Amino acid sequence: MALEKPEQPADGLKSLEPPATRVPLSHVFWSFLKIGGSAFGGSTQALIHRETVERRRWLDEQAFLAGFALSQVLPGANPVNLALYIGLKVRGGLGATVAVVAMIIPAFAIIMLMGFAYRQLSGMPVTHFVLGGVAAAGVGATLSVGMKVVAKLPRRWTPFLVGIVVFVTVGLLRWPMVPVVLVAVPLSIFAAYWNGREARN
Amino acid sequence: MDQRLLGLFIVFAPLSLLSFGGGQAIVADIQNQTVNVHGYLTNQEFADLFAVSRAAPGPSTLIAALIGYQVAGFFGALVSCLAIYVPSSLLVYGISSWWQRHKISPLKRAIERGLAPVAVGLIFAGALAVLRAANVGPLEIATLMICAALFYLTKVGPYLVVLSVAAIYFVIHFIFM
Repeated sequence: MALEKPEQPADGLKSLEPPATRVPLSHVFWSFLKIGGSAFGGSTQALIHRETVERRRWLDEQAFLAGFALSQVLPGANPVNLALYIGLKVRGGLGATVAVVAMIIPAFAIIMLMGFAYRQLSGMPVTHFVLGGVAAAGVGATLSVGMKVVAKLPRRWTPFLVGIVVFVTVGLLRWPMVPVVLVAVPLSIFAAYWNGREARN
Repeated sequence: MDQRLLGLFIVFAPLSLLSFGGGQAIVADIQNQTVNVHGYLTNQEFADLFAVSRAAPGPSTLIAALIGYQVAGFFGALVSCLAIYVPSSLLVYGISSWWQRHKISPLKRAIERGLAPVAVGLIFAGALAVLRAANVGPLEIATLMICAALFYLTKVGPYLVVLSVAAIYFVIHFIFM
């Protein structure tokens, strides 16, 4: 008898029923603890893919990519969001909670150690000088991220106008971020929807 | 002490929902709130902690835990960590289930496209906030521009760059100062 694959929706996201065999929560915990502990730099999503798609086979490629896109668009740390999405898929709300906690524990422990070290060393001038250089490198990284997002914006005036207005109000004028974003996000989505409609007609 | 824990929660919980793309988008408001509004940190401390968070593994949003630790010790770190993760996680949880029930629609695409320009503005504002807080001289500007070019044009890992910068600055400090 041929095993019939359940019908896969085009979206890849509708397949959020748990896998045939129930994944133990301890597997979810250890997998994401391992990923959280070895997540240096931007390679986290690649590690998650290797562990959950290739090794554990908790979800297929399509479902992973859908979760990946969602985790990038929504607020929160992208790898943590992706862990939540996968935990939710394999074990529901409990799985999502376990995945997020396991992802954060190692990084939280390391940053506590670094915060402690900073307190001990903050009396020395060399600490501030070295950290000044590291902060400059960090700002460089931030700028490169911003430039990459700019390069992907549609070549229309509305996205650029929105970006500039947000930068001027929050960055230069130091208006509080929450109200600015609460106004800018709906306007920006409306403009994108309008532009999309024009493109379709 | 309790006042500070509550204050940390009030600073970070709303920013959690604005942390598009992680911690970089909310750095400007974290600086403004913790330094200018609440006076929890000096500009020097903020710039130092930003640097420490960039040198640490894990998500950049953990700068919240680091600031919490500096302001109110371990419980400050814990409260800030919860405040920065729980609201966004609840939102992701809710939208993940909404998302499954709807196919790719023009509205979904518009939401994706509409968030990007706002995030861009916030990211550049965050870069400016750190520059304002830090003591920036010609050496730091040069470091910033070289690193931005490296990260934009190559696939070099951030930790290699951060460690190299720290080592070079360490040497410069002992030779020239």
